[in-house]
Amino acid sequence: MRTDRYRRHEQIDWFSQDAVRSARIVVVGAGAIGNEVVKNLALLGVGAVDLYDFDQVEQHNLTRSVFLRESDIGEGKATAVVRRAAEVDPGVRLRAFEGDFWDHLSVWRLAEYDCAIGAVDNIEARIRLNQMCLLAGTNFVNAAIDSRHAVIESFAHGDAWGGACYECHLPESAYGRMAERYSCGGLRRRAHASQQVPTTAVTASVAGALAASTALRLGATGEERSASRRVLIDTIAGGSTVTLLDRNADCAACQGMLEQPVVVRTRNRWALAPEMSEAGQALGQVLRLSDPLLTGYECAQCGALPEAARYLDRRAAEFDDSITTCPRCATSAIRIEVRQRFELGELVERFGSRPVPAKFALADIGGRTVCFDFEEG
Amino acid sequence: MSKEMSLVVRTADQTRRAELSLDPASTGADIIQAAVDNWALPGDTDYTLVNATTGRAVTPGESLSKAVRPGDVLEVQPVLVAG
Repeated sequence: MRTDRYRRHEQIDWFSQDAVRSARIVVVGAGAIGNEVVKNLALLGVGAVDLYDFDQVEQHNLTRSVFLRESDIGEGKATAVVRRAAEVDPGVRLRAFEGDFWDHLSVWRLAEYDCAIGAVDNIEARIRLNQMCLLAGTNFVNAAIDSRHAVIESFAHGDAWGGACYECHLPESAYGRMAERYSCGGLRRRAHASQQVPTTAVTASVAGALAASTALRLGATGEERSASRRVLIDTIAGGSTVTLLDRNADCAACQGMLEQPVVVRTRNRWALAPEMSEAGQALGQVLRLSDPLLTGYECAQCGALPEAARYLDRRAAEFDDSITTCPRCATSAIRIEVRQRFELGELVERFGSRPVPAKFALADIGGRTVCFDFEEG
Repeated sequence: MSKEMSLVVRTADQTRRAELSLDPASTGADIIQAAVDNWALPGDTDYTLVNATTGRAVTPGESLSKAVRPGDVLEVQPVLVAG
């Protein structure tokens, strides 16, 4: 019976159902593109799909999301999509993860996938997923749309590490736009309204189909398989452009990563074991945390404040810029310090047996990037 | 003073197209900014530059003298973000 299901696929000389069946894909974003990606992966008979999204279904999603219905409004998107996608092919192992992938997907777990597909709705999340794929050595397919175009970018971090990454060709203006969302180097701006880009089911279905095909490397050979490339499709005029993306030596993400980083899975505890008491030299090792931390909070007029205990040594992004108003003098005289780089010794001193509120830490050791990937919990 | 380079710049939807003579020292970012300004492209979008003749992307800091040859067609593409 199962053989009969894939009979048409088996008639295609370049299509390997076995290869598709063995593929494990993680899809980040269960919006319009995410729906289409999961639909195509399920129809193709892929082995396993894990879907991450922290959002709930809203009515406006229903014009673009093939698996969502009126009755799903208010439910988690990932759960709703996975429930319906399971009806397409019960042989596909589908799992829904309700939450932000940054909080729930570790680098070592990402390394177990054949490909990650970015179907998120903002550049910051795309940058973060790209960074994780670079560290994990996992192929990354970035899919995005507007009302007219669909773009698919493929980065073969798993098949041929060392090519361009997603950030290699991002313009400065994209970073500037991202920075507008934060103040003081990491606090969220209250007044910032996120951009609402109009899209349609047409561009979403084009992007979703090509993203699924690219992730599975269907029929791909040579550069289609190993090079970093972008396909931009104009769904109105019908034209498309294929562009090879060369590595950018000044890239904010992969600059200096000459070899694939080493990922070390580790407990997120910082107390030195007795046998490490002589590791004085190592305590000077600089670590760059995945998330900026709030390390200073005082009022220029009132001085040290007891409220600082609520904020210090936590992720800066947990807070918005309302905390820059002093609770005593009600002026904007609060001096905030946000840092991402620390010496190991300082982290040991600050956190000891407590976890650092970060996902991972990067270190340059012997000219190679080492990612200390913190275990959950 | 370097000799100017003739080339074509267009938008991805090809609704705008211009034949230009440009300083080879101009960078990818310069071309994008000029396109945004002269064609009044939407200011809430970021753009990237592609050499449609060679099929290679031009990085923002790359000069035309390195990435482009006379007569090449450059395409200003939007950086899409929606999912």
